[in-house]
Amino acid sequence: MISRKVILLIVLLVVAFGCSYSVAFAQEAPAEVDMRWFHTGKIWIFASVVLFSYAIIHSIYHARGGGNIFIRRIAGLEAVDEAIGRSTEMGRPILYILGLGTVSDVATIASMNILSQVARKTADYETPLRVPCNDPIVLNVVREMVKAAYLDEGRPDAYSEDDIFFVTESQFAYAAAVDGMMVREKPAAVFMQGTFYAESLILAETGNSVGAIQIAGSDSDSQLPFFITACDYTLIGEELYAASAYLSREPMLLGSLKGQDYGKIMLFAGIVLGVILELAGITWVSTFFQGIQ
Amino acid sequence: MRRQVPLVLCFLFGIVMMLVEFSPHPFSEGLRAELITWSLIIGPFALVVGVVTLVHTHWIRIRRRVEHWQYSYLVFIGMIVMVVFGLPTGPKNEVFEWLFDNVQVPMEATMFSLLAFFIASASYRAFRARTLEATLLLVAALIVMIGNAPIGDLLWNDLSPVGENIPSTARQWILDNPNLSSRRGIILGVSLGIISQSIRIIFGIERSYLGGGD
Repeated sequence: MISRKVILLIVLLVVAFGCSYSVAFAQEAPAEVDMRWFHTGKIWIFASVVLFSYAIIHSIYHARGGGNIFIRRIAGLEAVDEAIGRSTEMGRPILYILGLGTVSDVATIASMNILSQVARKTADYETPLRVPCNDPIVLNVVREMVKAAYLDEGRPDAYSEDDIFFVTESQFAYAAAVDGMMVREKPAAVFMQGTFYAESLILAETGNSVGAIQIAGSDSDSQLPFFITACDYTLIGEELYAASAYLSREPMLLGSLKGQDYGKIMLFAGIVLGVILELAGITWVSTFFQGIQ
Repeated sequence: MRRQVPLVLCFLFGIVMMLVEFSPHPFSEGLRAELITWSLIIGPFALVVGVVTLVHTHWIRIRRRVEHWQYSYLVFIGMIVMVVFGLPTGPKNEVFEWLFDNVQVPMEATMFSLLAFFIASASYRAFRARTLEATLLLVAALIVMIGNAPIGDLLWNDLSPVGENIPSTARQWILDNPNLSSRRGIILGVSLGIISQSIRIIFGIERSYLGGGD
């Protein structure tokens, strides 16, 4: 439970911020501005966010009671154990690349969650895990996460802070540094999870050339074809976000996936209904969506 | 305590940022801008940690004489030179600008241009027509390539008696129909995944990113 002191401290901080901001706002507010507290043109977006959120939260709390939740097999995530096992047998390191995203990108957070699960396994097998970072904030978060994973597995001695390091914030300098690491150290497994741009193929092809088993995952749809071509397994779009639930098998996380599926059913039903109505010459669905700002 | 404070802050700011998205009121707009500024302030502090880590990593490499340790001196030389010329007078310093334009930019351009060769090798592997799917991919890629090149339409119009600009029309059809519909499918899945992940983070259900400590 959260202690009263913590709640009090946070409430005080928020109130202080609110008061100081209100005073500043009262002094600076221009005369001709939109003074509405709610954008009525976004009401349907708001309603769909609330509905979808409710579906997810309901599924999460429903899943707390236990019960078997089916999750389809995702080849890329099934191969995680294989990749770690291969590295352990070959006595070579695992390279984990988080992409160029910052800590505020959801894809980077999803990638960090996968890294946490990978770190638990490397802690067990004593396999070196190398994580070159291109963002200093991500570096600090990742260090804490991996350290916690090694502690949880009872192997704090196997954790090496030097294996998680900052390279550069520059896109192609980062790609050059990581390519160099691949060629010199010849990792047996390369994970590329997160947000990637033009460097994706440079990294993936180099990993392929050194014979590493490669598991990639990204929400950048323009980079997915490169990963599919050059990597052994690719997590496509939403699979990246489902990965932590899949690997940890925590009922509450799995429950959120079920809620996500409800959202998909709603969307699919809307698309089918829209297509049928449009074919029948009834255009209110397209008019309705065009009206949403 | 180490976990509770970030969880409560994450919940509060997550909900606030979601709500201000639906409010055009200047208070909400200003609040959003203010919070984004707060998050930007963290960056420079973290950069110090990043630089310290970089120096530490290369110092260890030199001290332990690991393979290619000599290159770590280049990191220090580059860092010192750029700081010496850049820090006192800013990025408009002549030497700083010259080094940036004539060293860093060409090196980055070199890395970027490697992409052309990697695309060729990746395409060779992807387009080997071993299965039905790979054959379809090969055919679609050929049509898109011919449609993209101006010579495709030119040759078609000169040599074929049927239709005009068929290669570019076929290319556009492939991009607008099968390609766009599958991309939208992925984008819809990604959007739902992002909302789901955000809800898990805001409500503290997904907390492995917080690291250890109670």
